Amino acid sequence: MLTAAILIPALAAAALVLGRSWSESATRIIAVAASAMPLALLVGMWIRYDTGGPQPFQLVEETDWIPTLGVGWRLGVDGISLALALLAALVFVVAITYPVELRGRHRQYRAWFLFLEAVSLGVFLSIDLLLFYVFFDLSLVGMYFLIGRWGHGEARAAALKFFLYTLAGSLVMLLGFLALYLQTDPLTFDMRVLIAEQPLAGRGATAGLALLAILVGLAVKTPLVPVHTWLPPAHVNAPGPASAVLAGVLLKMGTFGMIRIPLSMMRDTFETYAPVLVGVALLSIIYGALVALGQTDLKRRIAYTSINHMGYAVLGIAVAGSLGSGEEAGRRLALTGATVEMVAHGLITGALFLVAGSFWTRTQDYDMGHYGGLAGQAPRLTGAATLAAFASLGLPGLAGFVAEFQIFVGTFSVYPWVAAAALLGVLITAALFLQMVQKLFFGDLPDRLRGFVDLGRREALALVPLLALVVIIGIWPTWLLDLLTPTSEAIVSAFGAR
Amino acid sequence: MADVALLALVALPVLSGLVLWARGDRQGPVLAVGALVSLALTLGVAVLAAVEQPEASLRWGAGITLRVEVADLARAPIVLVAFVGLAVVAYALGYGEERGRARRVGLRVAVVGTMELLLLAGDLLTLLMAWELVGLLSWGLIAHHWRGGAPAQAGQAFLATRVGDLGLFLAAGAAFAATGTFDLAALSEADGGLLTVVAVGILLAAAAKSAQVPFSPWLFSAMAGPTPASALLHSATMVAAGAYLLARLQPALDGVGWFGPLTIGIGLVTALAGGLVAVVQPEAKKLLAASTSAHYGLMFVAVGAGYPAVAIAHLVAHGLFKALLFISAGVAIDASGTTGLAGMRLGRRLPTVAGLTAVGTLALAAAPPLGGAWTKEQVVAAGTHAAPWVGGLVVAAGALSAFYAARFQLVAYGRGPQGRDGSPDTRVGGLRTATGAMAVLAGAGVLLGLVWTPWGEERVRQITASSLPPTEAWEVPASLVALVLAVYAAVLLDRSDRLAVSSPAVGWARVGRWFDLALIVEVAVVDPALALARGAARFDDRVVDAGVRVVTAGGTGLSRLLARGDDRVVDAGVRGAARLGVWTAGILDRVGEVSFDGVVEGVARMTGAAGRDGRRLQTGQTHQYYAGLAVGFVVLVLVTLAWR
Repeated sequence: MLTAAILIPALAAAALVLGRSWSESATRIIAVAASAMPLALLVGMWIRYDTGGPQPFQLVEETDWIPTLGVGWRLGVDGISLALALLAALVFVVAITYPVELRGRHRQYRAWFLFLEAVSLGVFLSIDLLLFYVFFDLSLVGMYFLIGRWGHGEARAAALKFFLYTLAGSLVMLLGFLALYLQTDPLTFDMRVLIAEQPLAGRGATAGLALLAILVGLAVKTPLVPVHTWLPPAHVNAPGPASAVLAGVLLKMGTFGMIRIPLSMMRDTFETYAPVLVGVALLSIIYGALVALGQTDLKRRIAYTSINHMGYAVLGIAVAGSLGSGEEAGRRLALTGATVEMVAHGLITGALFLVAGSFWTRTQDYDMGHYGGLAGQAPRLTGAATLAAFASLGLPGLAGFVAEFQIFVGTFSVYPWVAAAALLGVLITAALFLQMVQKLFFGDLPDRLRGFVDLGRREALALVPLLALVVIIGIWPTWLLDLLTPTSEAIVSAFGAR
Repeated sequence: MADVALLALVALPVLSGLVLWARGDRQGPVLAVGALVSLALTLGVAVLAAVEQPEASLRWGAGITLRVEVADLARAPIVLVAFVGLAVVAYALGYGEERGRARRVGLRVAVVGTMELLLLAGDLLTLLMAWELVGLLSWGLIAHHWRGGAPAQAGQAFLATRVGDLGLFLAAGAAFAATGTFDLAALSEADGGLLTVVAVGILLAAAAKSAQVPFSPWLFSAMAGPTPASALLHSATMVAAGAYLLARLQPALDGVGWFGPLTIGIGLVTALAGGLVAVVQPEAKKLLAASTSAHYGLMFVAVGAGYPAVAIAHLVAHGLFKALLFISAGVAIDASGTTGLAGMRLGRRLPTVAGLTAVGTLALAAAPPLGGAWTKEQVVAAGTHAAPWVGGLVVAAGALSAFYAARFQLVAYGRGPQGRDGSPDTRVGGLRTATGAMAVLAGAGVLLGLVWTPWGEERVRQITASSLPPTEAWEVPASLVALVLAVYAAVLLDRSDRLAVSSPAVGWARVGRWFDLALIVEVAVVDPALALARGAARFDDRVVDAGVRVVTAGGTGLSRLLARGDDRVVDAGVRGAARLGVWTAGILDRVGEVSFDGVVEGVARMTGAAGRDGRRLQTGQTHQYYAGLAVGFVVLVLVTLAWR
């Protein structure tokens, strides 16, 4: 079933490449159907998943691939990866549905999107380290082409920068993976073995270097300050749906990797260096928010808030791995919060980027100073953007709050001063989103915008599921927390059991 | 059954408010019926809940449970919120332009529900959620006229109170670290440093929400909103939340040594400063706004002195008369067409409204036998119990309050010269509903005067389940003297026509603008923060990204250098090898070893070809370098593998 979730979009992508004679509407139907099937399959898996069952990994599927090297086609889920895979599948359906200027290459556009969906799901579902790495890198390829060929402005330069920067990061990460791998006996990339054996435990500097390599690679992808500068140009020049996928799915691979690999497989070493990661996360939170406030470009502003929000997620992860066995309740809360943050950020920022994309298709202009008074002209757009903005600034009753509150409380129990400093980020984000809403939608309507059209049916249809989930998680998060908590509890309590 | 009451108390107004909001202006009379019926039902449920005091809980996630309950101190406020909400919404149904009215009314109905949730919260998480939702809806209420400058002002108000919200985050974090839960009841177990953090956080949150110094000016920004919004926010929702929270948590926080004195300090400073602002402020609504800060300051004093029940009693009395006065100010602004007090004097034109207003201003001035006077006297007693000079300063704050109450009454509803400006039939939008709402509020205020009787006092003790401060013989007479003197001064100034507009000296104008606190905050905090943000954005583009560009450029430079080296050294080597081959071949040839000839020539030719191919690698195309890099990497991996 998990295999099918990856193969269906991949095969559909291949079919789209070959089906030269297909019309635009035909490829749309195929793409939407092929992207929706993994979502349906994953919902089925969710039903079969037992939250009280063994951690980590249920529903495992395993086939040998390169047995001599210990590489296998190994798929499986725990609460966190299942939640993220579900999120990814949903964001892909929405992004593929969202209307965008295709420049006459609808087949290729949709094929790349489906390819990207397949490999993204692969990242979350694989429980083989090499397989994870392969999918992780392939995701770059898909995104490279989506930005480079369907982007605007300096799309090619931005795509190349994105590609080279993150590839360089992931090559460094591969070195760390190999260091882990080489300590297993018999050699294997099986994550279950790696988690159980903690291969680098007690190996001092080697382990530290391996952790550094892995974290650098993942930090580039997340991204954390100061290795974030590929993100703004990539977002600004990407088409709206690609931005939504970049923010909603691809960034999560970085933080997901941190939970899956260093936090689970290198507990000792992670614990030693957790304070450093806490510092970097705090820097990302405050610096990201501050720089976002300084932007006048709508999409750059949203892009920088991603750095702020992913900083919260990393903070939660770092806190979860601090302190050995102390403050377990707080650390579990922090990790659960971090995973909720990933889901919430995917939904919220995905929606915000889609909205930004709608601005671009109407006016080809991202400068917030050129807008105003759209509340009367485009009430649906105003409502969607305002809801997403308030969710992003962490208002209770919406998903972002559920995440940030838990991260904050968890962090406080371990590093009170860091938590207090992180609150500054909450305040700045509130200021920058209020200002954004004010500039875009309130005040006087410039004459040029008299013809500005409200959200169309397809746009609204795509945004509704994202925003509905934002509200549902905000009001009643219990179902999501019950899925995530057993996994985060298992990860955190493993720290004490030495 | 009881749980259902709690659910209904919150869900009924919130849901019906959202439905009314969503249906918009098309709904006609349904709007009025829907709004009034849902709030009347809410009021009924609130009374029921206040009597039964039920509690309920909901599992939120692992280890976190949301709890709602009717605490003793919440019994009166939950009824007050619904009652004032009903009166204000009735007024709002006739207020302002018709366009957008349904949405404004819907938001007001909803804010009643979120405020009820805030009052019911039994744990810090529920409290925090309700707290911020009240703030959000207030933002919506203030920003509603989005074409003008209102959204910017609403944003200021939202951010000022959000600074305080962070205090609640802090308190929640500390409470969890200390007790492992968010339960308010568990706070009494906390002690030491963590309890101090809780106290700091709660005090910060309360001071911001209740517009205490230095947060007071946000209430002026909030004046950009329509009058019914102000009436609701100042009297029973939003601003009331701060004082309520402090009173509710006073028993737990009293363990922190400085909590009482600091709370008294904040309250006294705000009561006196706010009083001065109201004394000179030339606009009707802003006078009332400053007086709101001042009266919440009195509640802070009561909490700080250790008598939370007194704070709650004053909260109820203040809620009743402040809602009444805001409606009165709204009518005055509509009738005179100006927000300034100077152009009003509506006593002859609107005698009924003037009479009803007098009930409010008398309560504001704390004139017995109105309820507001009793609660203020209790604050004096509580203050005196803490320290006599505190009681004395509360009396002084009361004198200021009496002066500006008289000022409002005399200038806004004084009897102007006969026949002055306009005929008596000037239409005021919704005058009938406004008068009705005011009459209801005035009636409740008069009824509250029962607390002067021993029976009434006993009811206060019983409802709040708390003790009241002992009273000293000098307090009531001192207050009365201060009241009379203040009112007399106001009357004198009015005769010489100097009451509406204070002397034009610059200093007084600054006092009227809340001592220019907003300006100071803007210059000292907001502007630097924005400059810092712009600076950080430039830094990010120019410096942080420059690092990447330097590395890229360095990489390109390095590869160029290597390429040149490749041409000169490696390639030379290859060429040299080829030459060596040819040379060797020549030697061998000369030596005449014919049998080796073919072999050597072959080697020479191959070496030559290798040299040429080696040069061809040097193409200058990035992707080929990349491929090379990848191949190298694989080799590296294989070497590592072999090395192991």
